[in-house]
Amino acid sequence: MEFGTTGMLNEDGIHVDMERLKKGEVNLGTSIMAINFKDGVILGADSRTTTGAYIANRVTDKLTQVHDTIWCCRSGSAADTQAVADIVHYQLGMYGVMNGRQPTTQTAAAMFQELCYENKDRLSAGLIIAGWDERHGGQVYSIPLGGSLHKQSYAIGGSGSTYIYGYCDANWREGMNEEEAVNFVKGSLQEAIKWDGSSGGVIRMVVLTQKGADRHLYLPDSNYAVRHQ
Amino acid sequence: MTSIGTGYDLTNSVFSPDGRNFQVEYAVKAVENGGTSIGIRCKDGVVLAVEKVITSKLLKPGANKRIATIDRHMGAVSSGLIPDGRHFVSRAREEAASWRKVYKTPITTSDLANRMGGYLQAYTLYSSVRPFGITAIVGGWDSERELPVDGQVGSGPSIGAGGKVEGKKYGGPGLYMIEPSGLYWGYYGAATGKGRQTAKAELEKLDLAAGKLSLEDGVKEAAKIIYIAHDDNKDKEFELEMTWISGLDGPTKGRHEEVPKDILEEAERLAKKALEGDDDEEEIKEEDKPAEGDKMEE
Amino acid sequence: MNHLPQGWGRPRDDVYGAYDASYLQNSGPNQHTQQPVVTGTSVVALKFKEGVVIAADNLASYGSLARFTDVKRLRTFADAAVVGFGGDVSDMQYLDRLLTSLDTEEAYGTTGHTLNAHNLHTYLSKVFYKRRSEFNPLWNQVLVAGVDQEKKPFLASADLLGTTFSAPSLATGFGAHLAQPILRTLAPDEEAAAGLSKEQAVEAIKECMKVLFYRDARSMDKYSIAVVTKDGIDLRENEKLEAQSWAFAEKIRGYGTQVN
Repeated sequence: MEFGTTGMLNEDGIHVDMERLKKGEVNLGTSIMAINFKDGVILGADSRTTTGAYIANRVTDKLTQVHDTIWCCRSGSAADTQAVADIVHYQLGMYGVMNGRQPTTQTAAAMFQELCYENKDRLSAGLIIAGWDERHGGQVYSIPLGGSLHKQSYAIGGSGSTYIYGYCDANWREGMNEEEAVNFVKGSLQEAIKWDGSSGGVIRMVVLTQKGADRHLYLPDSNYAVRHQ
Repeated sequence: MTSIGTGYDLTNSVFSPDGRNFQVEYAVKAVENGGTSIGIRCKDGVVLAVEKVITSKLLKPGANKRIATIDRHMGAVSSGLIPDGRHFVSRAREEAASWRKVYKTPITTSDLANRMGGYLQAYTLYSSVRPFGITAIVGGWDSERELPVDGQVGSGPSIGAGGKVEGKKYGGPGLYMIEPSGLYWGYYGAATGKGRQTAKAELEKLDLAAGKLSLEDGVKEAAKIIYIAHDDNKDKEFELEMTWISGLDGPTKGRHEEVPKDILEEAERLAKKALEGDDDEEEIKEEDKPAEGDKMEE
Repeated sequence: MNHLPQGWGRPRDDVYGAYDASYLQNSGPNQHTQQPVVTGTSVVALKFKEGVVIAADNLASYGSLARFTDVKRLRTFADAAVVGFGGDVSDMQYLDRLLTSLDTEEAYGTTGHTLNAHNLHTYLSKVFYKRRSEFNPLWNQVLVAGVDQEKKPFLASADLLGTTFSAPSLATGFGAHLAQPILRTLAPDEEAAAGLSKEQAVEAIKECMKVLFYRDARSMDKYSIAVVTKDGIDLRENEKLEAQSWAFAEKIRGYGTQVN
């Protein structure tokens, strides 16, 4: 998303661009990804939220839970993607209650897609849906801007992803073990953070397997080497 | 306690003092007068069959179908008031289409039965409507393989997804019967309509719970059961209508279709032969009689 | 802070000036999709004696980014027709679902399938025209290949405006410029197309896919190809372009007079 040069810094120190109040006022100029691995899926994201060049939040959590082992990565407008994720979170909860069984990643992907497709002219949302379920194992779906649905072995998204297409293509292997997979995600996001001004901060990950959801956190001051969570 | 003259049967949704809803029971009577319908849940598919009583010689044979397709993988047949059956089918199609629109995947047989059970039950609650005069049998095949989200592109890892729980089976045949009250159960073999008692007795002989009956044999058994059940109603002509749904590797590739003409005719031939066989036995017994008859000679 | 509820959640007038609420008015025209986002490029097709050959590559682009490389843009309809989609992928998926529901409704009848490629094309063109009339077009150009009611080869196009066109050979997008001339030399009219064998038609389509790969910057070398005849559909979704010609690059030195 492009930003104009208009606007001013008000007395609260918050940058408010009067001409941008509607369009993507808080932007997740982001690096997000999700990958399949041997035991399930891993989601990963940086933590930077920007308003123009100002970092509105440096420890954002862009990995959002919509069901026990179905999560999504959000990019685009923070408001839009949160609203969409909240709706799907509710719908998946209802699905479980009404049908007496847990929804699958496909169920979630179908719901996200319907919202993104039918409201494409009102939303700026680039989502990656990743989840684990008994029947299908780990699955990764990508829903880019227009609201199309793409099943992928791994998906990358956000402004930072454009810098790592080469890295990911060169280093991707199918059926990695958990350690290899975590390193792949970490390596990719490190590159994205390095080259994309709109990505930065910490690296967050969520590992989704039969055992449930497991969070990882890596900090820039230790060069993302130590797991803090 | 009888319903007649008490007044508790005059309107829908009203309980009698001993807790019965007579309008629903009358609806069941309507079902009991209808041509026999059956469903058999085989190991590799489902068969639906109906005894279509011919009410006029002016009706075109083979026309006026009684078994309907709900979704590509699901069919339904009913006994009782035919227009009520039509409305049931129409609503079931709407439910299946709405499920597809929301979840972008085919509705499972159990979910459809659940939705229709709820729908029929609602027709026992209001004085402005009457209960459905049908009992419907719904048969379907839920994909045993993983299905894509409708419309999706791409296919994920070439080696398949990681982390699947091994050794579990999914999908398969489904058979449900929904009654005027909205009550529904899942069955191995289901029968309703005039010949249901005979048909149930025959279905029980098949030991369907063992899961050994093949779809091909199921078709033959279904034809036989309709013929046997019709035996009590011999004065009326009837047509046999039969559909089936196999697994993805079977003859219908997971779709609900009419049983092909040659297979249907073969099944009918065997059914008639089995019946005649019974008659032959009886005739033999009669031939034996002359021995007894000797005694009767004067 | 302004204590009046009308002022809540709004930037302060004394700091930012009067709030411009013009975007909240919807007295203006309704705006819908004005551009496709994730897109597929050309679809090419050619009739031959018994049927039609149709092909499209497996790429979905995001602007100039080759974003998805496994997008199958040929969709079959009930063993009767193949629809090749160019343009927006989300709208292609919508149409795919619409055709699935159409197929389901067709199966309600007991006579088996009644829709042929011709019927399908008419249906799609009406859907396109309806949506463009609502100023909310489905951003696609499609080719419908199959056989008609007389089991003769059928090929026609429909686009986001509801425009329809039929010819012995058709191509959408870049293909209209690059592939169509090649196909027309081979099949200038229906008679010529009816004289083509399946092998000739397949070869011509493959040649077109190659030319498109050479010259269309939104194309790739993996593609899908389908042959539709009255006997059914033969769809291959992971073909790779063969016998490409690049070695002549060796002879190219500089850009004019240079010899080394």
